[in-house]
Amino acid sequence: MSPQPEQTLWVERLDVTVGAHRRAAVRDVSFTVGRGEAVGLVGESGSGKTLTCRSVLGLLPPGVEIAGGRVRLGSGADEVDLTTARRRTWDKVRGVRLGAVFQDPASYLNPSLTVGHQLAEVLRTQRGLARGPAHARSVELFTEVGLRDPDRVFHQYPHELSGGMLQRVLIALAVSLEPELLIADEATTALDVVVQAEILQLLSRLRRTHDLSLLLVTHDLAVVADTCDRVLVMYGGEIVESGPTEQVLRDPRHPYTRALLAVASIGDWSRRTLEVIPGSPPEAGEELPGCRFAPRCRDAVADCTAEPVWLTTWPDENRSARCLRAEDLESVGGPS
Amino acid sequence: MSTLRRIWTVPSARISIIILLGVAVLVVAGSALAPHDPLEQDPTRMLQGPGSAHWLGTDYLGRDVLSRLMAGTRVSVAGALEAVVVAAALGILPGLASAWSGRTFEWASLRVTDTLMVLPFTVFAIAVVGTLGNGLHQSMVAVGILMSPLFFRVTRAVTLGLRQTQYVEAAELMGASQWWVLRKHIWAKVLPTIAVTTAQAIGSALLLMASLTFLGLGVTPPAPTWGGMLASDLGYLTQQPWAPLFPGLLIMLTVGSLNLIADAIRDQTPDGVRRGWLGRQGTLAVAASSGLTGGGAALAAAPAPQDDVEPELSEEEDARVPAA
Amino acid sequence: MSAAISVTATAPIGTSRGGRLVQSVRPFGRLLVITATVFVLSTILTFALGALSGANPAAAVLGETATPADIARMRHEFGLDVPLWQQYLTWLGNALHGDLGRSWFTTVPVSDSIRTALPVDLSIAGLALVMAVLMGGAAGIAAALSNGGVVDRTVTLVCSAVATVPPFVIGMMLIVVFSVKLGALPSGGYVPLEQDPVEWLRFAILPAAALSIDAAGSLARQLRTSLVGAMRENYVTGAEMRGFSRRRVLFGHVLRNASGPALAVLGMAVPTIIGGAVITEKLFNLPGIAQLALVGAEQGDVPVILGTLLVTVVVVLIASMVVNAVQTALNPVARRAGQPGGAR
Repeated sequence: MSPQPEQTLWVERLDVTVGAHRRAAVRDVSFTVGRGEAVGLVGESGSGKTLTCRSVLGLLPPGVEIAGGRVRLGSGADEVDLTTARRRTWDKVRGVRLGAVFQDPASYLNPSLTVGHQLAEVLRTQRGLARGPAHARSVELFTEVGLRDPDRVFHQYPHELSGGMLQRVLIALAVSLEPELLIADEATTALDVVVQAEILQLLSRLRRTHDLSLLLVTHDLAVVADTCDRVLVMYGGEIVESGPTEQVLRDPRHPYTRALLAVASIGDWSRRTLEVIPGSPPEAGEELPGCRFAPRCRDAVADCTAEPVWLTTWPDENRSARCLRAEDLESVGGPS
Repeated sequence: MSTLRRIWTVPSARISIIILLGVAVLVVAGSALAPHDPLEQDPTRMLQGPGSAHWLGTDYLGRDVLSRLMAGTRVSVAGALEAVVVAAALGILPGLASAWSGRTFEWASLRVTDTLMVLPFTVFAIAVVGTLGNGLHQSMVAVGILMSPLFFRVTRAVTLGLRQTQYVEAAELMGASQWWVLRKHIWAKVLPTIAVTTAQAIGSALLLMASLTFLGLGVTPPAPTWGGMLASDLGYLTQQPWAPLFPGLLIMLTVGSLNLIADAIRDQTPDGVRRGWLGRQGTLAVAASSGLTGGGAALAAAPAPQDDVEPELSEEEDARVPAA
Repeated sequence: MSAAISVTATAPIGTSRGGRLVQSVRPFGRLLVITATVFVLSTILTFALGALSGANPAAAVLGETATPADIARMRHEFGLDVPLWQQYLTWLGNALHGDLGRSWFTTVPVSDSIRTALPVDLSIAGLALVMAVLMGGAAGIAAALSNGGVVDRTVTLVCSAVATVPPFVIGMMLIVVFSVKLGALPSGGYVPLEQDPVEWLRFAILPAAALSIDAAGSLARQLRTSLVGAMRENYVTGAEMRGFSRRRVLFGHVLRNASGPALAVLGMAVPTIIGGAVITEKLFNLPGIAQLALVGAEQGDVPVILGTLLVTVVVVLIASMVVNAVQTALNPVARRAGQPGGAR
């Protein structure tokens, strides 16, 4: 994958290892997020999506390190190499060019300060606004993220707000400095379905109005279905499929994606049985010969476990899939 | 008890136990083992430094420092033990009761504990001595009374936590009498807590005892005590600046060993019980150390450095400790 | 199970019950009630000591030459021949007006003597508190920042060692070093603050240092633990994601939340410092309240004894209230809700 002009994020062959034994939890992951584009990173827990996300944010826990590859933010003259960035660089990048919202929004706010104060603080410290203008702008931002009665919310403490409201607050905080990229790590997982939809709508709207790029990390295909232009499916630390969302969901080319769709049963309300993918994903860092999904794959053949599987790409369609049988399985069709 | 055996394996605890055994020997036979008569004055040999005849030198009346230290151990340690016994007797049962009985008793006992903790220790001791007479027992009882809140709080916290555990609830549902529950389930779990607290309390009491005797309260000279020796050293610091080191070091070693043992016991206690020790203590604990001098630190450090006890004014609802 | 005396333990979502003002005042109300109760109980205890002493003024002043008539007369003079509860109320009533009776020996009003003696202790205790905060705070923060490194381990070791040493030993060591060896500071004596601040400082700094070391140690240890714990919390990540520098995260956010337990430790240290002033008075020959009490105790001068005890208790109570109030003010939300993130 080569860098394109106007791209916001470029992750190139990222390897992340865990622990003293340096077990590979993320292998050779590459993708880009273009300007104004929304990309979904989908996978179950253990797929490596969270570690990938954290690598981009520079929030790897102790014992976990980037063992190879590069992460770059921005393009051209504004490009910053995040892989080797130190604290000073991060302080200039975070918030300003890169924003993030996480699961469990309450815990990411200081419980003893009002939410308004925390937003105004960002504006005052990073933009040098005075108290008054910062307050005003904060209220504006709260309105923009859909909070009713923003003046009142300004003076409330995190424990006084509901999950949905808190997530809006965090989004406001994340976009307050007009970053290029917003990363949402399971941002809607803890919210009920209705609120989840509202938040996703909000993110789409912000994308349009602020020319914001989005990276949505989630385990839920439904989240990416409506919001993302492109989707990347991760399994066992690798990217197993990528492409425009609509096409991938309509016509998946990797058995795992197919299985995921069957489980999620998006749009297929007539089905009565509960689909399940037999077996369990590999442990992080577990070394397997060949395809990492093969043990659980209905369509696996001997070749699949013989050697590591490279990505098969369809450049004209901008799709790729890590499956030896992608081409010939296509004609077989979707799940029964 | 198996706990004791387990503690022996920890090196720091082992050293502590050995030190304490040495102190115990001194308590029992200090005067007998001392090389010289602690009270014997020798005007020809005042304020001498360490030498062959007097290993730790002599004080301003020519008395052998080493002998005085050894003989003084009994009074100091015995006094501390007496205080701790009083404190435990006054604190444990009410602590158990307050976690078990009605709201009024609970509130009342908490307020009494608050009051005891607010009283500044040394001034209170002076008051007791001034009104009730200057004897060892009076001052030790005073110390004991002021230290009882420690046992009270700790026992109460553990019992509260244990009371809410499921096996206790189950037992009660099956009709077990409260007495039976208490004996069978709670006592065994409370004991380690009490053991830890006792070790630390003895350390605190020793420091307090030293403070009192330093002020001249509780024991009459010329009987040697650790604190008393420090007091007399004070006047002669220019001639013997190193003199406070000897009693000071002895105090440090004893108190330090006690704290180490307390830590060791705590580390050996299963986590389930230990979790009951944390949590909010329901009292005016801002004034918790009641003006204890050196003991104040030991008292404030009663939970290990890792457990930050958050004593707050918010009481009952927070005194509910999460079930183990 | 014992039910709670319930004050709003959790605030319902979206509404502040009774408005923000009432919510912030309520904890202070409880504080007041508790403090008042403790005060009353202390006065009872104090008075009981006096009653138990069985001493009478005649015996104290006149010694063995006192005749029964003398005893009766002096008892009447000092109001000791009325029922106990009446004595208590009179005494308490007077005390609340500032009248603590007169010394049996010197007939000097006790409150006068205390008025001259108390500022000595208070000024030195105040200085000690300031020093404890500065030293303990700096050490705690440094240890937390180093987290497992050399600074951290050294600080922890020093604090543990210091906790085992009685402060008067520390005081003596300070005297040895600074007075005897270096001759830089005096080893005893006192000059009131109003008279000459510089001289006051010269005399006050050693006793204050001796008093503060204990508290500084506890504070440093507690602060370190709280800070290290707090830095693992998500809201620190949140703050970092906003591009805040380490300094801002630490001082603007972490300290505020982590200071609770540390303040509690400091609060516990206040009575220690005030009580410890007694020892330092003897060490450094300061004309403070403990000297007053000691002399009174030696002579069996009950009004002086009771008066000093009462005043010290009041001072400690006030200090405790202040610290508790500061704690509440600084961190009302986290305390009310019980933990960061709140109850939802």
